Amino acid sequence: MNTELIIPLLAAAIQSGTPILFATLGEILTEKSGVLNLGVEGIMIVGALAAFVMAKFTGNPILAFALAGVAGMLISATHGVVCLWFRGNQVVSGLALTIFGLGLADYLGTPLIGQTAPGFDKLALPGLSHLPVLGPIFFQQDLLVYVSVLIVPLLWFFLAKTRWGLHLRSVGEYPQAAAAAGINVLLYRWVGVLAGGFLVGWGGAYLSLAYTHLWTSGLSAGRGWIAVALVIFAFWRPGRALLGAYLFGGVMAFQLRLQAVGTHLPSSLLLMLPYALTVIVLVLASWKSRQASAPAALGINIEPRE
Amino acid sequence: MKLRMLVMLCALILALGAGHAGAQDLQVGFVYVSPIGDAGWSYAHDQGRLFIDKMNGVTTAYVEAVPEGPDSERVMLNMARKNYDLIFATSFGYMDPMLKVAKKFPKITFMHCSGFKKAENMGNYFGRMYQARYLSGIVAGAMTKTNILGYAAAFPIPEVIRGINAFTLGAQSVNPDVQVRVVWTKTWYDPATEKEAAKSLLDVGADVIAQHQDSPGPQEAAQEKGVYSIGYNTDMSAFAPKSHLCAPVWNWGPFYAQIVEAVQKGTWESKAYWYGLENGIVDLSPMSDMVPAEVQTKVMTSKEKIKSGSMQVFTGPIRDQAGEEKIAAGKSASDETLLGMNWFVQGVIGTTQ
Amino acid sequence: MLSIRAYKRQEPLQWRSCLVFLGAVLLSLAISALLLQVHGKPALHGLRILFAGAFGSLWAIEDCLIKAIPIFLCSLGVAIAFRLQVWNIGAEGQFALGAIGATGVALAFPDLPGYGLLPLMAAAAFLLGGLWGLIPALLKLRMQANEIIVTLMMNYIAILILDYLVYGRWKDPQSFGFPMTPEFGPGAIVGKIGSTNLNWGLVVCLVTGVVVWVFFRFTRLGFEFRAAGENIRASRYAGLPYQRLVCLAMVLSGALAGWAGLLEASATINRLQPSIMVGYGYTAIVVAWLARLNPLTIGLASFLLAALRVGVENLQLDLQVPAAFGGIMEGLILLTVLAGGFFMEYGLKLRRTA
Repeated sequence: MNTELIIPLLAAAIQSGTPILFATLGEILTEKSGVLNLGVEGIMIVGALAAFVMAKFTGNPILAFALAGVAGMLISATHGVVCLWFRGNQVVSGLALTIFGLGLADYLGTPLIGQTAPGFDKLALPGLSHLPVLGPIFFQQDLLVYVSVLIVPLLWFFLAKTRWGLHLRSVGEYPQAAAAAGINVLLYRWVGVLAGGFLVGWGGAYLSLAYTHLWTSGLSAGRGWIAVALVIFAFWRPGRALLGAYLFGGVMAFQLRLQAVGTHLPSSLLLMLPYALTVIVLVLASWKSRQASAPAALGINIEPRE
Repeated sequence: MKLRMLVMLCALILALGAGHAGAQDLQVGFVYVSPIGDAGWSYAHDQGRLFIDKMNGVTTAYVEAVPEGPDSERVMLNMARKNYDLIFATSFGYMDPMLKVAKKFPKITFMHCSGFKKAENMGNYFGRMYQARYLSGIVAGAMTKTNILGYAAAFPIPEVIRGINAFTLGAQSVNPDVQVRVVWTKTWYDPATEKEAAKSLLDVGADVIAQHQDSPGPQEAAQEKGVYSIGYNTDMSAFAPKSHLCAPVWNWGPFYAQIVEAVQKGTWESKAYWYGLENGIVDLSPMSDMVPAEVQTKVMTSKEKIKSGSMQVFTGPIRDQAGEEKIAAGKSASDETLLGMNWFVQGVIGTTQ
Repeated sequence: MLSIRAYKRQEPLQWRSCLVFLGAVLLSLAISALLLQVHGKPALHGLRILFAGAFGSLWAIEDCLIKAIPIFLCSLGVAIAFRLQVWNIGAEGQFALGAIGATGVALAFPDLPGYGLLPLMAAAAFLLGGLWGLIPALLKLRMQANEIIVTLMMNYIAILILDYLVYGRWKDPQSFGFPMTPEFGPGAIVGKIGSTNLNWGLVVCLVTGVVVWVFFRFTRLGFEFRAAGENIRASRYAGLPYQRLVCLAMVLSGALAGWAGLLEASATINRLQPSIMVGYGYTAIVVAWLARLNPLTIGLASFLLAALRVGVENLQLDLQVPAAFGGIMEGLILLTVLAGGFFMEYGLKLRRTA
């Protein structure tokens, strides 16, 4: 492969990593508050549908994008009600949410098949986009890519440097201690669930507004599950989530290009690459490191106050 | 008062719901492998179902997203037990389950799409999509400047491979130097991945993108890059008006109507119904203005020849990728060969695995 | 002002918890009925069709039992791992590997009689399914690699291995190039029980269910499992062989899912093809947690979930509601039943506040 192929490949890696990045960041926020939400796939597709519908009827992609986040937030609220109010098992609730979301989006989306809606096109950043090599890779993407990249340091700053972020993390690690210190555990967990769902909804919106401009049922096609895996892969850190998402997207784009160039390897083996590589990198990164631990209270519901 | 009205309303709805099928209607059931929302294969069949649903004395019903294993057998059994008269199953993997059910219910007519097994009360059917693909290949071969055509394809099964081969032969008929590059996505409707597949083909120099995928993802990729594209399933020009040249399309309605009429009259017979352009079950959508008139004429001439039977798409000599002669000079491929095609013709770059 | 406060029940509800469960199911059915009404379909009639499809006839019940078999075995498997707090999301891949192992043996010895071939197939499915469980266990113990992500990724890999085989070397020469292995010989097929449609896999389920139950309840190793699962750190101090327990749990977990794969390939499809993968491995996780990891309740939950899916098919056919409707309903039922579980552990008190 020469540079003529490598530059578009890297640009494609960023693009196909972006929906996963949004979803991974959202799930990190939720899990940091101690709530495991396996409904990412379901939330994503509802976000994708909401974005498409709004773009179609308002003609305003920015508004559509914003509302997709709200839709993601609303659907995650179900998870909040079941797990935070009724203390239901978080694993089952998340899986049920996935089943529900996929069904709901398919059901509501049927009339929209075969239609297009306005979305985001490539936006070359003035000046930067003319840089050799770096320009075409990083600075000729659509607006949402830049948004997703901006969220990475913001989320890091929020979690690591602000008082609210500290409270949110403490609720995910030691809820009893946090409660004893006067922190409203339930409130912070609700924030984690809703704000996380908002970002996951954006991940779905990226698929129907920027990556493509159309709707079919099953548009998320398993990307939500990849996001769940990448949260762990990233050790719950936003920066590593960015790396993980681009790596995954890159390998996916790479195997398609390997086919296009002409290879004799069976496509099943090529398709294995992203999954196998994720495992290998995870194993290498976790080996003898102590940083791989999840929030201590992840998935554990808290007792109501007596 | 309000309560009573509510109760009456419920009763009315119940009564309506209970007796919606007329007594003498021919009850026709359809089994689909994906949700109709796939916008592709199952959607096209469902358009056919809606076509016959308007006929007199016919009621239809469908079950969608039925996996090809034991679930499909159960769905068909359920239809049979409810005295459906005619059942269409629209995916290859339904063949064996349908055969089992057909043997248990000799009075019901079964029709299986895209397979090869038959029984006294079970026939099979398919469309010669490869004929329309050949025509679209002519268009692509005439329009390319780089002589590289890209083909985003779903799964390496004979139906898809046959289509790629026919497309390649069509392109070669007007442009002997052309090569067709194939990328497998292993998805039927994942627009993002399919678009990415098309982009990967564009990166290696393809300037016409064809597809055997249900989503219009590849069309978008072509339009963004400013090159041409060829759709599939239905006219996809709405998705990429600046690049969409034409599309091989399905049109199941008239065929389903024909089978329904035959069953109603008692003239149905168990055989392989494999129709092509002559029947209209497959067709080429209207070509865009971007296709020059002389190319359009060429396509129409070939279409007429195929329709009249004076020309066969797979006529030898045809060699595979390794140069081995697969179809001898002057011979035409038998339906058996076509049905089980698992090799690429010369000029295709890619693997059949 | 009146306010509602939850309090933890001092004594378990015992038999009354069934009432709570029933109440939750009724509520979720009411919601489903409402949904049907919103969709413009007769609600009560719809529910009747749903029930008729699942329980209305002998064959309907047979259908539910047949569909429950793979769900039951997979969730029994994941429940073993969950008991030890090992999060095995990989039943789907272990299921695939089990089917691959069984098929490999069935294709290698097509002429062996059933009494020789079936045990070999069972052993192969056990080994490969178990291996697919053991790898993440070892990676977890030796390399600290999180098992959720490893098992999830290995699901995708397993399905692609299956694809590779049926699109490649195992493809039936008579299948006209379609991805499927040749049909199994008579010796490789798990037969039907008497004149029913049920296959002997049901008996396999009953036996493994009882064995697992007895194992946890009455054996020393089973006790160690429970102890280690309840408190990992304490169990290490108590000298329990935690690492070996994790490996054992994952092997058993994978092997049971592998057997589910074996039964699907051998008893219901009679060959291996990609469409064997319909997500039972993921369904199993829902079932295992819903049943609180108890083998007997897992049986009940698998049957009910299978019944729901079979019933929804009937609803699709008779009322022409889309398949997606089934997903919405299943999701809502699960969420309601889950939320209803709250009242098994907590009571509500009305309180007057100032």
